[in-house]
Amino acid sequence: MAYEEGQVSKIRKSKIHVPGIIYLIISTQIPFLYALWLSLHGWHLLEPYLGKPFVGFHNYYYELFKNPEFWMSIGKTGELVFGSLLLSLVGGTCLAIMLNRPFIGRNILRALILIPFLVTPSVSSIIWKNLMFNSNFGMVNWLFNVLHLPDVAWFSSIPLVSLIIITSWQWTPFFVLIVTAGLQSLPEEVVEASKVDGAGKLRTYIHIILPHLRNYYEAAILLGTIFVFQTFGKIYVATGGGPGSATTTLPFYTYQVAFIHWNIGHATTIGVFGVILAIIVANIMVRFLERDGGAQK
Amino acid sequence: MRVKRRLSLISIIYTMVTYLVGILFVFPVLWTVITGFKTESQAYSSSPLLWFEPTLHQFILALNGGFWGYFSNSLVASTVSTCLALILGIPCAYAMVFYMRRKQSKNLLFFVLSTRFMPFAAIIVPLYVIFKDLNLLNNIISLIVVYTSMNLPLVIWMSRSYFMDLPIEVLEASFLDGCSKWGTLLKVAIPMSSSGLTATALLSMVFAWNDFFFAVNLTFTNSSTLPIMVSSFMTNEQLFIAKVSALATLIIIIPVILGLYAQKHLVRGLTAGAIK
Repeated sequence: MAYEEGQVSKIRKSKIHVPGIIYLIISTQIPFLYALWLSLHGWHLLEPYLGKPFVGFHNYYYELFKNPEFWMSIGKTGELVFGSLLLSLVGGTCLAIMLNRPFIGRNILRALILIPFLVTPSVSSIIWKNLMFNSNFGMVNWLFNVLHLPDVAWFSSIPLVSLIIITSWQWTPFFVLIVTAGLQSLPEEVVEASKVDGAGKLRTYIHIILPHLRNYYEAAILLGTIFVFQTFGKIYVATGGGPGSATTTLPFYTYQVAFIHWNIGHATTIGVFGVILAIIVANIMVRFLERDGGAQK
Repeated sequence: MRVKRRLSLISIIYTMVTYLVGILFVFPVLWTVITGFKTESQAYSSSPLLWFEPTLHQFILALNGGFWGYFSNSLVASTVSTCLALILGIPCAYAMVFYMRRKQSKNLLFFVLSTRFMPFAAIIVPLYVIFKDLNLLNNIISLIVVYTSMNLPLVIWMSRSYFMDLPIEVLEASFLDGCSKWGTLLKVAIPMSSSGLTATALLSMVFAWNDFFFAVNLTFTNSSTLPIMVSSFMTNEQLFIAKVSALATLIIIIPVILGLYAQKHLVRGLTAGAIK
């Protein structure tokens, strides 16, 4: 028998959690409150003589109504998150199903497939940009030549697609892990019963396995959204946000405004919008999860 | 009999296809490791060169090009922050499971999760300004502080889920024997969930090791970490493919080994214990 939370609490009280919680508050909430304060002020580090005047919601008004780059960065973020998660979901499901039947060396192959997820993200960008997508000696272009397909100038002609490919390559193992956990929790008898009832493989998958996996997919998509949203190192190394602003997502745009234009007021405002966006997405997802009873336990 | 043989043939083909797809999937990493053992001119071959005399030359070059300074920064930042996160986080998780009312525990968990899911971009500017005022910019301490707060939620939710799996009788017995709460934590709860907690520590190291965002913004000019080293390599010496591959191999070895060692616990760690 295992503990339910709160089982012993009626008698004993403890304060041993306090240091950790205080640390979290100081290191995350205070910077965030400071960001809110900064976002209400004009502060340009390249023009220090202007000082830090209070400007109210001017920065927010500016980003929302006067700054098309801000909206573009939100659009790019959406495309990156949606594209990467869609590819990882499909690829991860296929791989998980292929790896779910017993064969010799399955555990080794499972471990191998996990590797892209563990590779340092900025390094994965370097690998793909130079060894795979390079137009002279990249392996992908070599393969395209062998197959008599036209050469593709990956990062210069389709930068966002290239970035989505790299990102989904890194996140596919995450979906493999979660879908595998889902498949393994599926009661064997249910699948057997469906076979006995004469359902084909595809029908078993659609009517039995997929509904069972739904909660796992939802968890994977929610967490994937939150993590892929943060993508930064890959963009920095592979494209630097470019060409133009083709791969400037919200975190990267925040970085540019803060540390290239040194406009602190605007950068913190964009950051605050990032938090608002994350809260909205998380809330939609939670609603979605709770709609019909939520995740099964 | 015949049907069975045909079935097994199909299954052999299916297995081979699985192997092919799996190896193609990790091919970029395998190819990087292989390229690290080539000379530059071999690395620039436009068709894949598989037979060549491997050389350690690129690795020696990479190791002698300032590698160890960045390496020690990476190592210190990830290990110290992991230790701090464990020291602060395990008592949190312990109190949440054994000393709190369910509602309080849930609320606290929600707060902890929300700090991890907050976009880093939202707090990077204030952190930069604060560290600048404290004279900690380009100092490894700033990375340790940030990685600790990045990994603390991970440690709390993972160890919470391991503590919840502990058998109730053993802990009750320890309390009845007069063990204090620290005694029970250190002598019973932690040893009993040691394999899970080890995995937690390893994952937390991987996250810190792989970070780019904080390292590039807080410590770019000095005391930076390996991911920053390899990225500056790209812009300055773009032509040295084999050397970059050797360096990339050296950087990814550690997170790959640590992650594979902890792979059984990855799902729990990544989904906040919602899926085991």
